Amino acid sequence: MSKIRTIGELQRTREKIKSTIEEREKTTPKIMVGMASCGIANGAKEVWTAIQRKLEEDAIEANLVKTGCIGMCSSEVLVDIVKPGCPRISYKHVTPEIAEELIDDWVVGDDPRPDLALAVIDEKPFRDIPAWKELPFFAHQKKVVTHNCGFINPESIEEYIARDGYAALAKVFTNMTPEEVIEEVKNSGLRGRGGAGFPTGLKWEFTRKAKGEPKYLIANSDEGDPGAFMDRSLDEGDPHSILEGMLIAAYAIGARKSFIYCRAEYPLAVKRLKHAIEQAREYGLLGKNILETDFSFDIELKEGAGAFVCGEETALMHSIEGKRGMPRPRPPFPATSGLWGKPTNINNVKSYACAPQIILKGADWFSSMGTERSKGTMVYALTGKVKNTGTVEIPMGSTLREVIFDIGGGIEGDGKFKTVQIGGPLGGCLPEEMLDTPVDYESITETGAIMGSGGMVVADEGTCMVEFAKFFLEFSQAESCGKCVPCRIGGKRMLEILTRITEGKGEMEDLERLEELSKVMADASLCALGQLTPNPVLTTLKYFRDEYIAHIVDKRCPALSCEALVSFYILPEECEGCGICRRACPAQAIAGDKRMIHVIDQSKCIKCGTCLDVCPEPFSAVKKVSGKKIPVPEKPIPVGTWEPPTTADG
Amino acid sequence: MAKVNITINDRQVVAEAGQTVLEAATEAGIEIPTLCYHPALPPEAVCRVCVVEIEGQRTLQPSCTFPVSEGMEIKTHSPRVVEARRVALELLISDCPMDCTTCEMNGNCELQDLCYEYGVNPEEARFAGEKHEYPIDDSNPFIERDYNKCILCRRCVRACEYMNGVEAIGSLWRGFETKIGTAFDAGLQDSPCEFCGMCVEVCPTGALIPIERKGKGREWEFRHVQTTCPYCGVGCQLDLNIKDNRIVQVRSVWDGPANHGLTCVKGRFGFDFNESPDRLTRPLIKKDGQFVEATWDEALHLVASRLSEIKEKHGSDAIGVLSSAKCTNEENYAMQKFARAVIGTNNIDHCARLCHAPTVTGLVTAFGSGAMTNSFDDIAEEAEIYFIIGSNTTEQHPVLGMRIRQEVKERDAKLIVCDPREIPIADFADLHICQKPGTDVALLNGIMNVLITEELYDEDFVEGRTENFEELKETVLKYPPERAAEICGITPDEIVEAAHLLAENRPGALLYAMGITQHTCGHQNVLSTANLQMLLGNMGLPGGGVNPLRGQNNVQGACDLGALVNVYPGYQKVTDPAAREKFEQAWGVKLSPKVGLTVVEMINAAETGEVKAMYIMGENPMMSDPDIKHVEECLKSLDFLVVQDIFLTETAQLADVVLPGVSGFEKDGTYTNSERRIQMVHKAVDPPGEARQDWWIVGEVARRIGYDGLTYSSPKEIMDEAAPLTPIYGGISHDRLDTQGLQWPCPSPDHPGTPILHVGKFARGLGHFTGVEWQPPAEEPDEEYPLILTTGRVLYHWHTGTLTRRSKGLDAIYPEAVVELNTQDAAKLGIADGQIVKVTSRRGEVTAKVQVSDKPKPGVVFMPWHFAEAAANKLTIAALDPTSKIPELKVCAVKVEAA
Repeated sequence: MSKIRTIGELQRTREKIKSTIEEREKTTPKIMVGMASCGIANGAKEVWTAIQRKLEEDAIEANLVKTGCIGMCSSEVLVDIVKPGCPRISYKHVTPEIAEELIDDWVVGDDPRPDLALAVIDEKPFRDIPAWKELPFFAHQKKVVTHNCGFINPESIEEYIARDGYAALAKVFTNMTPEEVIEEVKNSGLRGRGGAGFPTGLKWEFTRKAKGEPKYLIANSDEGDPGAFMDRSLDEGDPHSILEGMLIAAYAIGARKSFIYCRAEYPLAVKRLKHAIEQAREYGLLGKNILETDFSFDIELKEGAGAFVCGEETALMHSIEGKRGMPRPRPPFPATSGLWGKPTNINNVKSYACAPQIILKGADWFSSMGTERSKGTMVYALTGKVKNTGTVEIPMGSTLREVIFDIGGGIEGDGKFKTVQIGGPLGGCLPEEMLDTPVDYESITETGAIMGSGGMVVADEGTCMVEFAKFFLEFSQAESCGKCVPCRIGGKRMLEILTRITEGKGEMEDLERLEELSKVMADASLCALGQLTPNPVLTTLKYFRDEYIAHIVDKRCPALSCEALVSFYILPEECEGCGICRRACPAQAIAGDKRMIHVIDQSKCIKCGTCLDVCPEPFSAVKKVSGKKIPVPEKPIPVGTWEPPTTADG
Repeated sequence: MAKVNITINDRQVVAEAGQTVLEAATEAGIEIPTLCYHPALPPEAVCRVCVVEIEGQRTLQPSCTFPVSEGMEIKTHSPRVVEARRVALELLISDCPMDCTTCEMNGNCELQDLCYEYGVNPEEARFAGEKHEYPIDDSNPFIERDYNKCILCRRCVRACEYMNGVEAIGSLWRGFETKIGTAFDAGLQDSPCEFCGMCVEVCPTGALIPIERKGKGREWEFRHVQTTCPYCGVGCQLDLNIKDNRIVQVRSVWDGPANHGLTCVKGRFGFDFNESPDRLTRPLIKKDGQFVEATWDEALHLVASRLSEIKEKHGSDAIGVLSSAKCTNEENYAMQKFARAVIGTNNIDHCARLCHAPTVTGLVTAFGSGAMTNSFDDIAEEAEIYFIIGSNTTEQHPVLGMRIRQEVKERDAKLIVCDPREIPIADFADLHICQKPGTDVALLNGIMNVLITEELYDEDFVEGRTENFEELKETVLKYPPERAAEICGITPDEIVEAAHLLAENRPGALLYAMGITQHTCGHQNVLSTANLQMLLGNMGLPGGGVNPLRGQNNVQGACDLGALVNVYPGYQKVTDPAAREKFEQAWGVKLSPKVGLTVVEMINAAETGEVKAMYIMGENPMMSDPDIKHVEECLKSLDFLVVQDIFLTETAQLADVVLPGVSGFEKDGTYTNSERRIQMVHKAVDPPGEARQDWWIVGEVARRIGYDGLTYSSPKEIMDEAAPLTPIYGGISHDRLDTQGLQWPCPSPDHPGTPILHVGKFARGLGHFTGVEWQPPAEEPDEEYPLILTTGRVLYHWHTGTLTRRSKGLDAIYPEAVVELNTQDAAKLGIADGQIVKVTSRRGEVTAKVQVSDKPKPGVVFMPWHFAEAAANKLTIAALDPTSKIPELKVCAVKVEAA
């Protein structure tokens, strides 16, 4: 493809691509394989190869393409088939074998296989297959940032252009001054999607007005939260929307050089972003005098080296500069003194991806979604003990309950909801009674959690809240850059206290210590990492204090999760003396013989739970308890001879 | 500066816009405690001790970085703030061994002080937990690092980054495991660390301790003496910490005018030579080839009578005197007076002859004054570009090197380095030109050719401030880049790039050292540097100038005070009858009008018998002069040799009488540094045994010869005599110098001194261009001796090694001579790195370990000349520059073979 030289040429190119695609879809079936990391992890590459081979072997003419993640990660591998004249049908949990069947039955034959289908991506149902918007998972979503994810081939700039890609850029070039662009973004109410929620337009304005040249632009895709993958979905599914957003921002603030900072642990995201940058350069959408304007701009991809703290903007900039990624105090803010001391605008990739749509559809359209102070949509990575895990995009103001129960389909298995950890490891754990909290910056902050960049981890009753808090703290304190005292030592001391508690060695004063440390860390740490590290502890102390007290006072873990506080007993009334548990015990802690009631030697038990797992279900003789003892015989005795000790009150 | 109104603790305060809260509060007399903050370092706000409450801010803010703004309301000691501070301190001591009773820093530990202030008691620690148990790192000779006491304030890291500039250390790992270390956690000696010790200086706890001070005393027992460093010509001010007549530690003097608190490894850690058991403690007289201890009376009597005899019998000019660039101005004045007034000869010289004689001749010709034109401060702060040619700045003038490196990094000042070796500062250069030794004139002419042909030079300056431009133009037009590049063994592009960089970045400071001067064309080289800077209009302004860097602590002063063959103090010519008459009157004797013999000439004259006796004070020609074998023969043919020194140097071993003088730490007086700054030297400790003040010894010899005019009571008295006779020192007195010193010319007691020379007008009126033709070195490589040997110094040693080889740490870290050989040459010769090789020239041979690298240019061999075991000067050639009489120490032909 040659360079697009003018705005008119861009429009003509779009028309040409559209008609080519349309022409092709009229005659040739299109098979789309979800090839984001979630798909690949579930075997999309194998499915792809199987389809390719099948098409070749059977000499079937079809257009096999990759696409990004449509959000329903729990249904991967997703394969979509668009037959000429038919709507797009999405198939879930596709294996190579199923893929072959689908080709035989639907691409070649006339059976759309409703049994394998997830939905039709269309307004109406189609031959017993529901329309996607009828599925609760999609019905409550509003796709703005992710509107192209799962719909286009992320490695094709043509497909992006066909879906009005770079039209917003053409619009700002022809119709808008930089100031007008900033005004539009300000009016839209867009706030930083990295989590802090600073008004994006205002940030652009600060950078535009800051003295100093050159000005830099940075897109932050250093998504390090465990259980978060929103940025990755976007990077992998629609990289050009990020590029276009950056171009618009660069035009608005007057930047010529920029970086996308993406974590190296996202090799596919890195690859697709790099590919998109190269394509945009080839098309003349990056580089010198873009679309024959005076505007020149380029993007470089910088891979992070694996430090969570590099998601913090000042640390990220140090990392780009080639230094150790460590935050520095602000002010000065990046807008006045950022990369190499120059004015720098740094936004999350999702914030940039909003910009083209705000420009195209207008600030009013964007601000019509959401709440009074939080406009637009929020992308969440929904994960944990929830039925439908995946990337979801909801209008701001939707409640947590809607996200977890309507979109997420509720708790996996038979479990009961216990908590949702929202905002990543620096966020908070909210209990059931907070589920009607609307998802917006202020409401979430009020609960003690944070919006964060959008991680949402759901846990069921089997989760010990002390351990849960400890898990996040382990992560945050290990990822502390080590610079400031409250974070470096405070985090460690908090973790030590939590560890003590989960081991049954806690004391009530520990709760005060936790609160004192949390308070000072939040108040006096250098960056958000240190300030927010106590959040999981503070919120669990606030909403699940009883569990802490149970650990400390009763030496009991109510969730039966803390290894040091649980014991396994073989119930003498239930044991049939089959010997399965005895043979399976890796610690040889179980005594017994055929038809003898088995007994666990507590001093030898390593609490692995194997006995519980292997005990045949009809017997269900193994019980896990915490904070209490179950009377059992001292030595194995014949089955049926057990007499429980009588207690004083009979 | 705009003012802003703020409120601190309900008090109205007017602060300056741009100030931090800490600065504003401190100025208002409101104390905010700090820990990681250090006034000489950029703040990092990591300890969180200086946090304050600022109205409208969600969290507490570090006062060390937070800027004031109009209407700001600040609370520095609210309960919320105090609680945060206390918790930070509690956390810090929760990971501290709390061994204050045995800690070297007890009484000077900032963490201890804060815990005291905030009542934080380890016994009541709320946050006890795991403590680090790192082993003590004492793997290098200078610094002991006890990580267990490290509070990660990162002062050391910042010192390394912002003071030294090499960034040898940084944070390693993450979280609680974070520690300060080198890349890959290797030892400091395996890192770019230069052991400047600034990290030790700024450490607030006992985490970094100089090994030398351990167990030698506690803070409150130390006596402090500020003095001028006895090593190089930068003239750093040092704070000597003394207990029981021993120097135990050197600390920074933050307002030292030349160093602003910075030190190098020698200044910081190289003081222990002072208590070496090798120190001379009694006079020695050689009897039957053996030294025998003598009384002062015996020794002085012998020296006086032998010198008198020889003077009587062979005339005054049969005696040669060498004064010393290591001695004070007062001692140099006394020594030259001794030569002239007592002996009656101008055979008085010193080792400036071996370093900067061409600077004096060349710069006097071009500008009318033969000294560094600018000051370290203006060069460091205002130069847009540094043009370093023939100066291994970071190793020879480390503190200046540190400052330049810093400016290049922080201010993005440009840097061009011209040197035949990959010297350390070349790593920071925008352009490193690796010219062949002895081709500097061609290089500089090539650059000037581009400046003239492309009309990039400063026409106004040339027109208004200089003369003889046509001669320069005619000459340099013969050196187009292609021809110059061929002579230099470089590419023409490099020459063009250098010219463009120089033209685009002004003002620019040119710095040079021995790489320019130690050539048979030394005088011509210096003229060329002057030509270049005049052509660029870089003269007489801050950030510009021609800046010869003086090698020894007082080589400038020794010249200023007349320890030269042709001039009295203040560069007044001995051939000028008026000057002579002035000194005859002052000293009450007739003076010789005949220019004396220079260092090398004097020694050669010993061989011919023209010179019969020599009196050498604080010099070691048996190491420092070219062609040592010949020097030895010459000195041995003297009838009488007296050496006055603090050690039995290689030269002293040949003496008939050895007189024990005192070290720079044992005397009062003044040194004049490279930037012409006369600074005080203060006695810190008593000399060992019967060692005597050098000026006293000279005076006593004179008295015994029959001259009472050298009998002084103190160095102050000497300066009071010297200053009025020395116009450039006319306003100098010990009382005026105080801690900041004064830069000459300082003609009268009310004159403030002169930081920059030739402002508005050159000392000689118009700057004089001289067309200079390139000429090859005296000895060029040939088939038999195919390589060029160039000599120099290393960071850890100084001159003839007399002092540094006797400093435990310095000698441990750099214990032996090395021969640097280029990888290509080594491959050709079949020599492997680390092998022992023999280096041979027409004059001698030495053996030493070879270091194979790409540091020297192919065809070039480098050796340091500090090591008597492998004395590089056995190889060098005594060919002299006809004008300045400096020998060509930088170029001779050698061969290298496996030993």
